[in-house]
Order: sequence, then structure tokens, then C-alpha cells
Amino acid sequence: MFQHLLFLTFLTLLIPSSAEPSFSWVTSSDLEDPLKGRILIEELNCVACHQAEESFPHSSRTSPRLQNLTKRINPDYLQKFIASPHEVKPGTMMPDLLAPLDPQQKQQVAKELTHFLLSLDQETPFRQEAIDPVAATEGNQLFHTVGCVACHSPRSSNGLELIPHDSVALGELSTKYSYQSLRQFLQKPHLIRPSGRMPDLRLPNQDLDRIVHYLLQKTEVPGHLRYKTWRGKVWEGLKGDVTPEKGGLAKDFSLAEFRDRNGKVAQHTAIQLEGYIKVEQPGEYRAYLEMNGGTLSFNGSKIIDERPSDRRGMKKFSAKTTLQKGWNSIELLYFHTGRNADLKFEIEGPNFKRQPIPSSLLSISKTPIPVVSPLQVDPDLAQKGKAHFGNLGCAKCHDDVKVDSPEYTAFAALQQEQGCLSQTTPKVHYHLNPKDRALITKALHQGHQRELTDLEKVHKTLTTFNCIACHERKGLGGISTGRNSFFTGSAEELGDQGRIPPPLTHVGAKLTESWMREVLIHGNRQREYLNTRMPLFGETHVGHLVDLFAKVDQLEQATLPKVQNIQESKKAGYEMIGADGLSCIACHDYNGQKSGGAGALDIVHVTERIQKNWFHLYMRQPSRFHPTVIMPTYWPGGQPIRPEILEGDTEKQIEALWNYLSDGQRAKTPKGLSRQSNEIRVADETIMVRGRGTASYRGIGVGYPERISLVFDSREMNLTHLWKGEFVNIGHGRFNIRGENRFAFAPGIPFHRLDSLDESWPYKGKANYTFPQDHGYQYRGYHLDAQKRPTFRYQYGTVFVSDFFEDQVEKDAAYFQRTMTFETSQNEEPFFFRVASGKKISEVEKGWQIDQLHLRISPQPDLIIRDGEPQELLLPLTLKAGKTTLNLEYRW
Amino acid sequence: MVKTLSTRVFRGLLGTSCLFAQEDLGAMWGTALAEAEYYRLVDIPIPPEIPMHPGSFENLPENQLAVGTRRGDIYFLSGAFDENPQPTFELFASGQDEIFAMSWRNQALTVTQFGEVTRIRDTNGDGQADDFEALTNHWGYAEGHEFAFGSKHDAQGNIWVALGLSGSYHSHNFLRGWAVKVTPDGTMIPVCSGLRSPAGVAANAEGAMFVIESQGPWNGSCSLKHLKQGGFLGHPASYNWYPYVEGQQVPAETPQSNSRILVEKKRVKELVPPVIRFPYIKMGRSISGFQLNESNGKFGPFENQFFFGDYTLSLILRATTEKINGVWQGACYPFREGLATGIMNLQFTPKGQLIAGGFTTNRQWPVRGEKPFAIQRLDWTGKTPFEIKEIRIQSNGFKIIFTKPVDTETASRAGNYVIETYTHNFGAGYGSPEVDHTNPTVKAVSLSKDHLSVHLVIEGMQESHIHDFDLSGVRSAQGEPLLHHDAYYTVNEIPSP
Repeated sequence: MFQHLLFLTFLTLLIPSSAEPSFSWVTSSDLEDPLKGRILIEELNCVACHQAEESFPHSSRTSPRLQNLTKRINPDYLQKFIASPHEVKPGTMMPDLLAPLDPQQKQQVAKELTHFLLSLDQETPFRQEAIDPVAATEGNQLFHTVGCVACHSPRSSNGLELIPHDSVALGELSTKYSYQSLRQFLQKPHLIRPSGRMPDLRLPNQDLDRIVHYLLQKTEVPGHLRYKTWRGKVWEGLKGDVTPEKGGLAKDFSLAEFRDRNGKVAQHTAIQLEGYIKVEQPGEYRAYLEMNGGTLSFNGSKIIDERPSDRRGMKKFSAKTTLQKGWNSIELLYFHTGRNADLKFEIEGPNFKRQPIPSSLLSISKTPIPVVSPLQVDPDLAQKGKAHFGNLGCAKCHDDVKVDSPEYTAFAALQQEQGCLSQTTPKVHYHLNPKDRALITKALHQGHQRELTDLEKVHKTLTTFNCIACHERKGLGGISTGRNSFFTGSAEELGDQGRIPPPLTHVGAKLTESWMREVLIHGNRQREYLNTRMPLFGETHVGHLVDLFAKVDQLEQATLPKVQNIQESKKAGYEMIGADGLSCIACHDYNGQKSGGAGALDIVHVTERIQKNWFHLYMRQPSRFHPTVIMPTYWPGGQPIRPEILEGDTEKQIEALWNYLSDGQRAKTPKGLSRQSNEIRVADETIMVRGRGTASYRGIGVGYPERISLVFDSREMNLTHLWKGEFVNIGHGRFNIRGENRFAFAPGIPFHRLDSLDESWPYKGKANYTFPQDHGYQYRGYHLDAQKRPTFRYQYGTVFVSDFFEDQVEKDAAYFQRTMTFETSQNEEPFFFRVASGKKISEVEKGWQIDQLHLRISPQPDLIIRDGEPQELLLPLTLKAGKTTLNLEYRW
Repeated sequence: MVKTLSTRVFRGLLGTSCLFAQEDLGAMWGTALAEAEYYRLVDIPIPPEIPMHPGSFENLPENQLAVGTRRGDIYFLSGAFDENPQPTFELFASGQDEIFAMSWRNQALTVTQFGEVTRIRDTNGDGQADDFEALTNHWGYAEGHEFAFGSKHDAQGNIWVALGLSGSYHSHNFLRGWAVKVTPDGTMIPVCSGLRSPAGVAANAEGAMFVIESQGPWNGSCSLKHLKQGGFLGHPASYNWYPYVEGQQVPAETPQSNSRILVEKKRVKELVPPVIRFPYIKMGRSISGFQLNESNGKFGPFENQFFFGDYTLSLILRATTEKINGVWQGACYPFREGLATGIMNLQFTPKGQLIAGGFTTNRQWPVRGEKPFAIQRLDWTGKTPFEIKEIRIQSNGFKIIFTKPVDTETASRAGNYVIETYTHNFGAGYGSPEVDHTNPTVKAVSLSKDHLSVHLVIEGMQESHIHDFDLSGVRSAQGEPLLHHDAYYTVNEIPSP
């Protein structure tokens, strides 16, 4: 049936020219033509049908997966798209397999295919949700800054694509996706599109939401009222200092939609509610409002208008209006401000007793808004669809759906101007333009048999994944002029370097292998000031670049000096970095602390990211690598500008910077470094913070240079938290721990005389107000040693306790050693020291295991493991007059 | 009355013409330009790398200034008192909680932070603190807004600490709403109850200790209160701690809401009436740290008077106190406006300059001064402004003392002393309008021989009322008008003849 319809190719002529798939990022690159053609063959996945033996099958673009379509895609869209892909989504790479059919047959086959595809899963049906126009506005901003428009077309304010021809097509997404389904797709794009061409931007959820609202802003769903809210100084009206907050649909004119979990509406909120009210009996209606301030309009004319005030309570209003039969527009702008803010709105009219307007009389539209109806899969149609799916060759590309398909000509036997490449009677309608067709044709005969060189492989990958949309690389191209202005950043003083992603020229000679891997495979990023995000393309697609870059990018060897005294070298480095030296930190961030000026790249980890050879070459002449770099050279013509340091030896000076920076976060904090950051990082000295947050309001956080930290609660004189890695974030009077491997102890005092082993361990409850002083405790403060490590001092009855923690390292693992000294002038009654608490405590070799914490105590005592939740490890102590010392080690 | 009216109209105009967006903060006095001739504002530059939200200041030996911050850092500044200051900042200590009071004594800095009074020392002389001795942390601290403001050392070496209520309204944790005294050995002695939202503690020339509080429940407007041993300062939320306080009994009566101080102080015998009430907006909105001027004249004519910062309106205010029938009372006066940020605290320097500093917050409270944080200094230019120096109560009226001799003609005219009285509602609602207005009559004016003061004989003085003075008609001997012609005297007691 299909064969004899082939002559109906005139249909192609009806397709607008923009329908052709665009490979502009390939064709406009500086690659050789055969390589371009080769990429086109891969992008069109020719080898899915035309079996080949070379490398094509591995690197060809995989088609989107068809799982969970029921939930993901609007069934109407699916059928229309199958019927005419190039009309529904101009620029799609999906061929129009139904082109040869007449319109009626086309619709029928598309319908059958749709039934088949939706029969593949039993998901909940597709359902559209209301869009938040405020989020959409923010999404617009994000869409045009985070990198979406590097490949997709930027759009005008009314959604018109500005560079459609040179962009990856999106189509009208609101007809295809729901809020949920697009969001899920963007969260993990590679689940549905394993080809990696659509990368994972790893955006924060909130940003992702906003972009989704933006892309779907044309979605229409039925509802009663539209709302929009603002926050800020709403008593000055909407023109003052207010920020739009959110928008959506509300049921009626009550505040129900705007209450938080505690039933409260946030003070200083403006709420606009608008829609249409349906009137059965025309005539004079009276509106009754109780509120602080706002305006009420019917059919565009204001009948109540009261300026809000933050200085008073609610007022009562009443006004008349004449309403027509049928739909009348209604708009209430309400300001939630002033004393006891609330809203009460009722109307009264002919045969309509005074009451709030019921939802049933309200609608956002005078005409009904259609709802997408779920498709009931017809098994017969689905059966027929399945046959088409095989026969048409759909299953070749969408090979996650296993259906037998016919065999096609092998790749090696393909001929130019034949089959899919035929200009007049193509077997399959891709709507290729003649240039692209020519490139493919050329590649068919020249390109594919030859093994590519390493450089060609690099360039092919960078082109296929459109890395060059954001990064420049010599010999390959870079950011197009039309898109340049969409690259923005937050560090304006850095010029282009503060907004354009770094060039990839020489990158293999610049980055260490491990950092290259971090960036490419784990999406780690260093340049937080770039608004454009480095996305993830997937290890299978770009992982090979790590080795290839290293092979193809080679620079000359710099002369490295012999350093006799490494400490002297580091000290010189310390001096040069700081405010009295070259003042690198005047422009560069350092260890998470913002620089005073430009906000240039944080240099604390530079030796982990950069190859030493490149560092030497770069420092001598930065402009060699970035023609527009603002970093000056400190060794002009190879001569140091600070000749008094290290005898003025250029190489030794650069080497000294390297040696100093090699200590990373452990390096001594440079002189003049800013303390503005709220993220506190530990360098060579212990740092303390205190305030509410992680522990009680009297918690004291201590971060040690070996990158382990603890919280000591000065209220209960108790060790409450241990963790590793980053230290804390602080605010006014508060801190929150960061890092990982957290271990938390149960709250409670450390020492206590239990009446019996059944007695609960005491802790500060809400109502024991004088706790723990009523248990004999006095907190006495702390003393710092030369490394600024505290010894806490406190008192338990007549026992004075000095409590010292040291960070130690054994086999690369840091742990705490704690020395507790007890001093008393009398023999003490026995008491217990609750050494630890946890879900599960057991005695193990050399100590005790408390969940993931290993504890050793010397002199090794006999401990009691007390059952309960949590379990407790109790150490009985009988102190004699004088000094007693206890050593504990915490490993976790 | 005509003059009072025109003053108010003038204020109103200023408010709408130039400050619409800040209308909410009330009108400015409009005197900043004139004030600058006598008290010059000097900015103390802060290096950009330093997170500086100043909360407290203290003088150190060798002309250094200590600054304690909300972030819990303490910096030592050298050069802050220079005529054109370009001070260096050395970090002395960090890792403390919000620091709103510091006092130097015996080679140690005693700081009041939210959870603790701490004596901080540099024992090894390397310029950085290494010993942090907790004197006490025995008050409850477990909720937001539980601020702690401390005093300088008193003559016995005690630090007085005023403990704000839990969330500004309740007393959920131990001694919230109380003032306590912390002795040099770390003993904490509860002094009095009834605080709400204190913002500074300081002693007057006689050594009596006071706290400043913002308007709110049981406090009709910002007021200065006397920390009287065994007293109750007005807000009953802190009654619940009496059972824990040795030597004090819970008052037999609880104040009744929607009443007057005059009525309630007779019912609740422990109630200590506010020493000075500052009319809302006219005299500040969130008055904060304050200190006594003991500069021996280096700061001009206002020796032994209190100076206050105002957070919301970025002002400096002035006040005098006197003890009548065993009760403290006094007057407050406008002093200087137009500071750069929300003022949190003040400090007189050894050179007799006044350091003022603070910050704004992104949320919480509005502030007139626009800088996110600042340290400024007020230097007396050496020129004496024509000001009401002090008002003292007499058995039959008031004595008004001026900074310069007055013009006989204008100063002798009774009509040039316009006095209105009013008081505030005393109750659980937030703040109070001015109520119970009266208009006393000036019966006689007598000028002192030196022309530096006048004695007004008044008919209709009102106990427990603010007496609001407008002297805009009075001129100095040289014909100058008063730099500030308003003053406000809170009459708690009228002395017997």
C-alpha cells in the first residue's frame, strides 16, 4: 500500500523552507567538508537502517526514547507530529515517513501509531497545569542567560524566535508538554534523549521551574479566577517598591489560595484577582468589601478605590454597579497590610441575596477553554499501529520499542542521488537542503573509511555537541556574533572574561587530567561569575576528550627552577599573594572569600586544576593565552617587578607561588584577605563560630585545619556534632554546618550521678529553666593555644574540667584526639560520663563502635552499654582529689 | 498655640515634598544643616574586606577604639580619633555571638553577647585574644529576638544586662524581660522585671543605671527606664520568674491594660514609672545605645548629659535626669540628625568626640539612613549653639537653662513658652497615641541675672504627663533663634515647695 503512493512527493513542496532540519552549528564550523558530512550522517542516524561496520554506529545520534509517552506528551500533539513532523515542529530531524500518503490515510496511520505508542505503558494520563506568569517572566530571563540560547533560538518579548534557522528547533512546547512532564524531562534529559545532544544543565529546581513556566506560558487551562501577587511596600500601591511574587488560578475571592501552612497570609502582599462573573438577572448589584485598601472594578470601571495604609486596620466599603446578563469582567486588587489584615467580599443583586460570589459563577474566560482529553487506547488500532511502527522503520531509530522491521540497503552499498538522498523521489523525507545533501554525499564516498586523526576526533566531538557555541577553539570557531550578547556574567570588571566561557585552545596543555574529568564528566565549575552554565553531555559522549585533549594540545616546556628550601619558597609565595606583595587577592577570590575588586577566579585550588608547566608559561605572559586578558604580567620581559623577593629570580618567584598554592586550603591565609563571605573556610588555623543554628543557641562550632570540625554546646557543655569537609555558613548570631560525614550525639549533659540505671539521662527540656546549673554545671569559657585550638573549661560541682580537642591524621584519615583533665580538691562520689550515644553501640577491637563512629579511650576503662533509644555508652568515674586525665579518640 | 501649629505644618510639608517614599518614618526635623555648624559629622572609612556591622564600641588604652560586630568579631582601630581618620583595623577576636556591649577594665575586654558575658584577654601579648572567660551564661537563650544589651562596668565592676523578651512579646525562657547584674566573679543577680525590648544600658552621673526601650506593649513610646533593684518596669510577661529570684516576691498586683501609668503605679507598688518618655517619631522611633557625656567640656556645653542613637531615624538625641521624691525623671531634646545608617550604639572618645555606628537590615526594620553599615563621628566644632541646655522641675513650674544668654525681651514674654501636656495609654496594645492633652498656663517668667536661665511659673502641671515645650519665639542675646526649640519633660513627681 505504501509503495504505490510514493509518487505523491509533491507534498514536500508544501513544506515551508524553515522546515528543513538545521545543522548550522556543523555547517558553519571550520571543519573540512567530509568531516561535516560525516557528522550529518551521524546526526541523522543513517546507520540505524543502513547497517555499517565502521565507527558510525557507536557515535550516531540515538533517537528520543518512547517510554511513558502517555504521561509525558499531549496525545493530540503526538498524532499531529507523527502525521506531519515538519509542519508541527519545523526543523525536526525526524523524517516525514507518512509523506507519501494522502491526507486521510496519513491521519489514519498517525492515529494508529499514536494508539500503539500509548498502549506501551499504563501511566496516568497527560494533564496540563496552570502556568505562573511571574515565574515565566523570570524564566525568560534565565532562558536567555544560563545557556539555553547557545543552541536554541533567542526569542523576542512576544516569543518570536529571532534566529530560527541557526538554532535547534523547539516547536511550540505548550502544545506538547505539561508543566510536570517538561520539568521531569529537563531534570534528567538523558533519560529520554540519551544522545546527549540536549545536555543536562543541572539547574537548581527553582530555576528549572521558572524556565518551564516560561517555555509553556501559552498553556491555557480552565479556571475561575486568575491571580497575581506582589510583595513589598504595598501600602504605596503597585508602583512603589514591590516585587511580583507569583501567579496562577484561584477558586474564588477568598484568601484561601494565599494562606501558608499556619493559615496566615504574608503581611505586605498585594493580590490581584480577575476573571468574569456570570449574571443570570441583569440589573443593579451592590458590592460589600472589608479590607485595608484596594480597588474593585466591574467591566473596566472602578467602583471602589481606597489607598492602603500600613498604619491602620480594615475599613468597610460598599458601592453599586450595573451588570449585564451573561459574562461581566471583574477585577479586585487587594492589599494585605495594616492591622488585622483580612478580606471579605460579598455582592447582592436582583434575586441574589448578599453572599460571597460562588466559584460556579466565576471563570477566567468568557468562552470555554478546552481540556486535553485522555486517549482511550483501542487495541485494534494499536495492533495496526504496531505493524506500521515496524514496516515504516520507526523501530530502527526508536529501538527501545522492539518491533521487527524490514532490512534496508547496507551503508556501504548506498549511492549518491539515490534512496533518501534522491532529490526527486526520496525514500524517506528528511527535507534536507541541497547543501547538506551534498555534504552527506561527499562523506559517503570519501570520509567514512578513513580512521580520523586525534585532532579530527576532538573537533568532531566539539562540533557534534556544539561545545563551540560557547567556547572558542583555534581552527574550529566559537561564539557566533548573533549570540554573543547573550553571554553575561556577574563580574563586570573582568570584561569579556567575566562573561564568555573560557577558550578551549591549548586546553589539553592547561588543565590537569583530574580537573578536566571533573568538568566534563561531573559538571564541576569554577567560574561562578559566568551566567552560562557548563552542562553535562554524558561520559559516554565526551569522556574520550579527556585523553584526546592531552594528546593533541602540546606546548613547549618552561624552565623549572631547582628549589632548595621549600619552606622559604612557600613563604615567598605567601608574601607575593598577599596585600603587601603582588596582591593577587585584590582581584582574585581566595578560598571562598570574595576579593576586594574584580571577583576573578578563586585561586586556592589552582594547582589541582592547572598543569604546572602551563602555570609557568601563563604567569610570564598571560596575554599569550587570552588576548583580552586584564591580568597584568608581573614579569614583563621576563623581569620581576619585585626584585627583592628570592633574589629577583623570575622562575623561582613563579615556582614560589606554585609551591604556596600547592597547600590548597591548608595554606596560611594571605594578608589582607577579605572576611566578607558568609561561608567560613578553615585554612592553617582553627576557626570558631558561635550562635544558634546547628546546635542549641549557645553552640560553638570549631573547624580544624585537618578539615574536621565539631560543635561544642556551651549550654550543656556537651560535644554534639562531628563532621568532615567544609566548615560552616554563618549569619548574624547563627551558623549552619556544611561538609559531610556528620555524626550527631544526643543532647544532654556529659556527667551525671544516676540514681539507678533506669533513670533517663538529663537534658535541657523546654521547661527546666535553670538547667544545667541546677545539676551543678558552670560554663567557664575557653582558652586558645598557639594554633588557636580551644580548651573548653567548665565545672561539674567541685570538679573543674579542661577539655581539649586536637585534629590528628593517621593513614590520610583525620580524627579527633580529646584530652579531658579533671581537677578536684576532694574525693568525688562516683558519677557517669556519657561518652557517646547512638542507634547501635558495640564493643569492638581497641574500642567501641557507635553507629559509624569508632571511639577509643585510654586508659581503657570498663564501659556500660545502656539499652534504650538512643543506646548510651557510660563510663563510671570515681575521681580522687587531684588531677585525672582521660584520652579519647574519635574516628568516623 | 499658633507657633506650635505652624511648626507642625512645616514638618508636614517637608515630609511630603522630599521624602514621600519614607513618609512612613515620619518627617525630619529639618535642622541638619544648621547643626553641622556646631557638630560636624566625620566618616570613619571601613576597608572593603571587613564585614562591619558595628554593635558596640569601647575606648582602649593608647587611643585605640574597639568595635564589636553583629557577626561576633572585635576589631581594634588605631587612628579613629584623628581629625581626618584613616584608621587601621586589627582583628582582636572572632567567633563570638552578636556583640552589643563592651567594657574595658583591668587589661580585659568584657563583652555582652547574646548568650553570655565574657571577659576576653590577650594573655600572650600577640595582639589577639586567646582567653575567653565566661562570667555567666545563666539566662535563657533559646528563641529569636532574645537580645542581650549590656552596660559598661559600674563602680563596683558589675556589668548590667537587659534581656529582651522572647519574640518581643513573651517570656518563654529564664529571666527574659529582666535586667541582671553580673559581678566580676561571675555571679548573676536579677535586678528588676518588666522589660520588653531593651536596646542599651548605661549609668548617669550619679551612678544610677538605666535602660532604653522601644515602644510596644506596655510602653506607649520609647522610654528611658531606671533599673531599680526590686522594681517592675511595666511589661508583666516576666512575672513568671519571681519564684526563681532570691529576695524578691512576685508583685501582689498585675497592671491592668488600657490604663495610665499614673493609675497603675499607685496599684502596683513595684512599678517604676519611665524616667523619660520620648514622643514617638518627634523624638526617635527605635532609640538604641546611649552614653553619658563626661568629656569635661570637650563635647560642648552638654556635660553629664545622656546622648542616644536612634536606629530607625538615624538620629542623635540628648537627655537630662534628676531625682525628685526618690523617683528619676527628666527631659529629652533633639540634637543631631542626618546620620548615614541605623544607629546601634555610641561612644564618647577620650578626645570628647562622639562615635556613632550601626547598620541597616534587608528585612525587619526600615531605616532612614541609607548606608548598609557605617561608623561616623560627631566632632564639636568649638562653636556653641543656642540651645535649651536643660529643663529642671520646680515646685511651681520649670527652670529652663540655656547654653547662651537670652534676649531679655523675647525671653521674658510668657507667650513665647508654649507648653502642651499629654500622656500615653498604658496597656498590652502596641505603642500608644498621645492622649489626655492639656494646655497649662505660663503665669510668670523670671529671668536669671546672668540671662542663662528662666523660671516659669506654671498653672496646670500634670503628674505623669510629658510636658512638650515649644520655645520658637525665644532669641539669644545676639538675636539667634534656638537651634532646636522643642524639649519634652516627663513629670513623674512634682517637688514640694
